[in-house]
Amino acid sequence: MRDVAVWFSGAALAFFLTAGAFLLLASIATVPSEKSLVPEPPEAASQPAVGLKLNADQLASLRPEKDQSLDLILRNESSTPLSHVNVTLSVSSENTALSIPRYYRHVVEKLPASGTADIRFGFDLSEPEQRITGRPASEPAREILEIKATTPAGISTTKTVVLPP
Amino acid sequence: MAAAVLLTGCTGTEEAPIPPLAPAAGRVDPGLGPGTRALSSGPGYKGSPDWDPDGTRIAYTVDGYVVDGPTTPGESRRWTTKDFVATDTEWISDDTLTILGAASPTERGAENSLYRANAGGGSLELERIARGVLAMSPIPGEDGLIFALVTGFHGSELALTRDGGASYKTFSDNPIDGHVSALSLSPDGEKVAMAVRPPGDSETSELRTFDLRQREGREVARLQGDREILGTPQWTRRGLYFVAGKQTTALDGDGSDPLFDLYRVPADGGTPEPAPGVGEDFVASSIRLSPDKDRLIIIGRLNPNSPINLYVLDPAAKKLEAVTANEDMEIKTDPDDLAWTPDGKNVAIIARGIPSTEPEVRTEPADRLLKDFYNLYEIPIPEEAAR
Repeated sequence: MRDVAVWFSGAALAFFLTAGAFLLLASIATVPSEKSLVPEPPEAASQPAVGLKLNADQLASLRPEKDQSLDLILRNESSTPLSHVNVTLSVSSENTALSIPRYYRHVVEKLPASGTADIRFGFDLSEPEQRITGRPASEPAREILEIKATTPAGISTTKTVVLPP
Repeated sequence: MAAAVLLTGCTGTEEAPIPPLAPAAGRVDPGLGPGTRALSSGPGYKGSPDWDPDGTRIAYTVDGYVVDGPTTPGESRRWTTKDFVATDTEWISDDTLTILGAASPTERGAENSLYRANAGGGSLELERIARGVLAMSPIPGEDGLIFALVTGFHGSELALTRDGGASYKTFSDNPIDGHVSALSLSPDGEKVAMAVRPPGDSETSELRTFDLRQREGREVARLQGDREILGTPQWTRRGLYFVAGKQTTALDGDGSDPLFDLYRVPADGGTPEPAPGVGEDFVASSIRLSPDKDRLIIIGRLNPNSPINLYVLDPAAKKLEAVTANEDMEIKTDPDDLAWTPDGKNVAIIARGIPSTEPEVRTEPADRLLKDFYNLYEIPIPEEAAR
């Protein structure tokens, strides 16, 4: 009986020592050094970036109707050719209670280094459904165009246009 | 030793999720002065801000629906559907919000109901407390609320909830002749100040008080000649302060904002006088009493031609001090667009840049833009301001 007790005590001691040693090692190994998390700049110099150029006159001529057009120039501002660039246009209202954005998408294939591509979006800029919201009548909601170009590496460039009422 | 080793092993750095960064949160310089912090970003007509009791979250309306968000980076929550039209929101505890508004209204001015929403259970569900509610005010420290109900065609009565409950008792033996448009509590929390529109008299506005213990009401002042009380009267230790001016439904004929003045009247009644200390040309829009009941924060302008700014008035010292030096921002001037933090160190206001008549092109996503839309800003109030 005494041998059994000694055996169990020894086994328990060995277990706790082993477990403790592992926990100590794990504790030392996993405590990260304190360091501020700095977000990666969205357009690091080594990453291919694109630029978007809009036509101010055309923006001024947009009307809250269907069948509107938006021309823009997409430019590869890096020295690396891009296999493709996704360009999206979202059209939404400043009145967020009404706003269900309309999305349009264009894919530009094979954009050479420093090359440009002309893009035309046809889109619907008519006013959304009208119903009572908390926005007073004296504050007509403006329309918002958001154009986003994304490279295969996931680098994005955004232009947001706030149109006057 | 094993225990010590085990303890060491268990005190390692805990794994914790890193909350997402709030869009455009942080100290900014939108033209409202140093130390200003943006509390929201992106489009939406924001209004009626209110801080939770510990000052870590702020609730507000956006195009009628209700959201709240932390004042540090983190996710915001939407408390109502987008077809809800709220006119006021007030916290009554750290996780309970009361909302005055109408669900799916078919016309402007639809009858408002009072709702309670609790975030404690993980889901946000609205519970209607009462229909036909005209105005409300929280009772600090009691998880309660005093509110005014419509009775009959032209009357009102006060009602009270306590301890965060949905049931309420009314002061039905003390009807109010006319509709209450706004109310607030006295510094001791035992009386109520009310702006009242008497029945059948669209050209008069009354300031009334009601003693909740004695169950007695009285008329304090009556404004005539097309003048109305704008927003909520504030009961200070130096009397009742309120904003009033000529009634208007929109901009004045010349396109300028209507001009309202700040008045003071003794709590036991009398003739309202221009508030001492603000200057005779001062134009007031909205006022709020500080949590310590000693100061009034005012959105207004020094004269009709000067820019709108934030001011602090010490009614005891009759001293007015500017908090912001705004030149190019439009500070929103609706009566409820102003809120003190519970510690009295900051104020939330709503502002935007001057809207352009030409398309504006920005290089950030819409939900990160600040000055293009009405957004909430936290303005620090200097400790020595108006003291």
